[in-house]
Amino acid sequence: MKKLQCVVVAALLVAGVLLQGQTVEGPIRIGFLVPLSGPYAQNGRDILNGFLLLLDEIGYRAGGREIQLLAEDTEGIPAVALTKARKLVESDGVHLMAGGLLSSTGYALAPYIDSMQIPMVYPVVSADDLTQRRGSKWIVRTGYTGSQPNHPFGDYAYHTLGYRTIATIALDYSFGWESVGGFQRTFEEAGGRVTQQMWTPVSVHDFAPYLAQISRNVDAVYALFLGRATLQFMRQYEEYGLKDRIPLIGAGTTTDEHALPFMGDEALGVITALHYSAALDSPANRAFVSAYRARYNKLASYYAESMYSGGKWVIAAIEALDGQVDDREVLLNALRAARLTDLPRGSVELDAYGNPIENVYVRRVDRVNGELQNTVIDTFPRVSQFWNYNPAEYLAQPLYAR
Amino acid sequence: MAEPDAALGGPRPPSNTESMSPRGWRLAIVLVLGLVFSAGPLLFSSYWVGLLTQMVILAILAMSLDILLGYTGLPSLGHAAFFGVAAYAVGVLATVHGAGFWTCVAGGLLVGTLLSAVLGLIVSHVRDVYFLMITLALGMVLWGLSFRWIPVTGGDNGISDIPTLAAHSGLPFAGPLALYYVTLLVFIACAGVMALIVKSPFGLTLRGIRENEGRMKSLGFNTWLHCYLSYVIAGAFASVAGVAWAYYNGFVSPTYLDLTASSELFLMVTLGGPATLVGPVLGATAIVLLKNVMSAYTARWLLVLGIVYIVTILVAPKGVWNLGPSGRSR
Amino acid sequence: MNPPALVLEHVSRHFGGLKAVDDVSLTIQPCARHALIGPNGAGKTTLFNVISGELPATGGQISLFGEDVTRLAPHQRAARGIARTFQITKLFPNMTVIENMLLACEALDRRKLVMFRAVSSYADLNQRAAALVEQFGLSGRTHEVARNLSYGEQRKLEVALSLAGRPRLLLLDEPMAGLSAGESTSMHAMLEQLDPAIAVLLIEHDMDIAFAFAERVTVLHQGRMLTEGHKDEVSANLGVQQIYLGMGAAE
Repeated sequence: MKKLQCVVVAALLVAGVLLQGQTVEGPIRIGFLVPLSGPYAQNGRDILNGFLLLLDEIGYRAGGREIQLLAEDTEGIPAVALTKARKLVESDGVHLMAGGLLSSTGYALAPYIDSMQIPMVYPVVSADDLTQRRGSKWIVRTGYTGSQPNHPFGDYAYHTLGYRTIATIALDYSFGWESVGGFQRTFEEAGGRVTQQMWTPVSVHDFAPYLAQISRNVDAVYALFLGRATLQFMRQYEEYGLKDRIPLIGAGTTTDEHALPFMGDEALGVITALHYSAALDSPANRAFVSAYRARYNKLASYYAESMYSGGKWVIAAIEALDGQVDDREVLLNALRAARLTDLPRGSVELDAYGNPIENVYVRRVDRVNGELQNTVIDTFPRVSQFWNYNPAEYLAQPLYAR
Repeated sequence: MAEPDAALGGPRPPSNTESMSPRGWRLAIVLVLGLVFSAGPLLFSSYWVGLLTQMVILAILAMSLDILLGYTGLPSLGHAAFFGVAAYAVGVLATVHGAGFWTCVAGGLLVGTLLSAVLGLIVSHVRDVYFLMITLALGMVLWGLSFRWIPVTGGDNGISDIPTLAAHSGLPFAGPLALYYVTLLVFIACAGVMALIVKSPFGLTLRGIRENEGRMKSLGFNTWLHCYLSYVIAGAFASVAGVAWAYYNGFVSPTYLDLTASSELFLMVTLGGPATLVGPVLGATAIVLLKNVMSAYTARWLLVLGIVYIVTILVAPKGVWNLGPSGRSR
Repeated sequence: MNPPALVLEHVSRHFGGLKAVDDVSLTIQPCARHALIGPNGAGKTTLFNVISGELPATGGQISLFGEDVTRLAPHQRAARGIARTFQITKLFPNMTVIENMLLACEALDRRKLVMFRAVSSYADLNQRAAALVEQFGLSGRTHEVARNLSYGEQRKLEVALSLAGRPRLLLLDEPMAGLSAGESTSMHAMLEQLDPAIAVLLIEHDMDIAFAFAERVTVLHQGRMLTEGHKDEVSANLGVQQIYLGMGAAE
């Protein structure tokens, strides 16, 4: 028995040494967290693809140092994301982290990120409060807030599209509430009225019961869905004969390029707003979309663009520091100070709360060369998460909820 | 805690049912687990201390399910509900009401236990696959509630910013190591009490119900009551784990009580060895380890995990604890 | 005068159209030795199930020691002094003999709900269980799991379990069934040694055993009572009926 004990102790000692976090000089380690399995795997994969494309373009080098990517699967489960974040920070000793998709994960990670004082880039997580009422010093958002594109869009729906009454139907979670909330606020302040609101479970399979309830007297229907749900919704909206009677508008994800190629004519004419469109006609975007297509044989979704651009953000900060990223405070400041003018989505800078000020594009689904695309029909330049409101007054009001 | 079933005192030959495999295998398991859990954290990095904390908390949870599944023979697929609800109680009390540490702990235990006391009234009437289905359904309802009762639970965003154990309890030691050893003490206390329960006259009746409920009734046992109490006990210990988990992670979300959580728990018990208490500890440890080590090396880790499950079930149908050349030749 | 151990008044148990037990009335006095006979499918075991509460009666009334128990659950009837064995052995197969016996011993003991003390620490329970094990000649098998016992041993344990609660009325469902001649004799001897204070109702196929054991005999046929009386009267009647019932010939 004595012998066995010795062996076990020795094994533990060796393991302990091997498992100690490595903190030697060398490559810049970037921890990356997205769902690569589970129901959100496809979106997570897009985000990762965007990042990989960028890292390839720069040959995994920035500021004179090698870049090492450590990607971990969060399964879309907040507790798993936290465990993986712990691994990246405490075991792998990463210099900074990036990633995240769901708001729940975003909120779950925030306290840990703050406690470990590790810079974190959120390319997609759009929960408003992460850069508003519950802002975190160490989180830099390079994506958007759920309400951000919807503030101008509500205004647009009233003034340009001329709608006066609207029914909304959206997934019943914070992304849905915040998007619809932002839209409703500006639409109603302009003089319109949201006369009907419907919330569907995130796991919704059949929209028939909801479509049957939609008031036929509204000027338009605003919809927020993504993934499989948006395909199903679009199809059923047409099958119910609603498409010809009531125009459909919605949040950017409803016609986002992750789902658009799988849609048919039912999507034609749908107008949505987002800070990106793969059909955006700029040199930077054309280059990105074609490179992305060449590598992955897919249309670039906003998820893909998010981490291509988020990656550019990180690289810009590393370059600005000449690769001297070991002081996290300095790295964080460089991330916050970065100002990028040549992203696929256009020019972006951060506001004082760590959220981008960026263009919002109003897009209409058209068929061009046989493929559906989100044609940009209008642009709201340099939109802040607070739209035209005073930030202090804005923050004094409660978060958009159902 | 080595052999909770070796309950009945006096010297006896090693031919008991639930402690029948070779002693060497089990001794090795207990030795390795004991060493890793007691001294491991002093050697490992803080990340591994965190994983060990997870293992210890989930071990409490798995043992609590073992009372129900292994000892009483009631297969629950909704056991994570109590774990999650207790965690939510801590989250709500700590963040919304700004309650103190002991209020949160007591609140979590009370809410989780009361819930099991109420649900137990319903589920204790059914057995076998019906028990499986009704616990599954109730678990789904509670998951749905955590998801939809937004004013209280925060919906899918859950509740974050639960204070750390050190900050909340005024414990003089902060950091992962302190949290780990506090959790370990809770684990030892829970394991001790559960080991006593399964050795007690009451524990004997649970096994009797698993073996032959009809005979139990005709002998004079109100088996409904015993099943009910078993369910409440399991719920209470799951609540302990839930409270610990809330402090460990610092947030609560609906995934704590979803079907995936409940079925993973089920696997921990069945893989480790039901009706042994040590088995579930082993199961919890192995699954946490596998998930985190495997996913670092391959994107196909889910597949690998699935294969491991299947192989274990084929090689050790009674769980890893009961593995080894069988002494069942008689 | 003491109330009868068991009174059945017009007791029935119907499964849809099938009248498994139909309008049976029967009284068993304390200390009685009573046999219940009849061909296969006569409803003997169903009647046992109705008496012990496993099956609710669809009609009639059942009294135990003067108390109406018709609506009571099996465990409540057990608490009122009834115990039974099963024709098809019902043990706790993965538990040891002594554990089986301990369960039976604590069944009617308030300590069965004690959670925070090991059962091994209750000397009296353990002693009583061990004594019963020994009484039934199983002491060599104390720590063997019930599943591994021979059939004869299992039958012994089956009867032993039913006696652990010190019943006042014992229902024995073919305790000798399937036993070898030797085992059967020793089982019979054990039955003869039962505490005379216990009223016993025995289902038995073997006429010789039934009439040797019992004072009174009830014949059941197609769910109905055919005859009931002192064993001599019944046995006198039985000559004719044996042909009709097809009993005895095979036995």
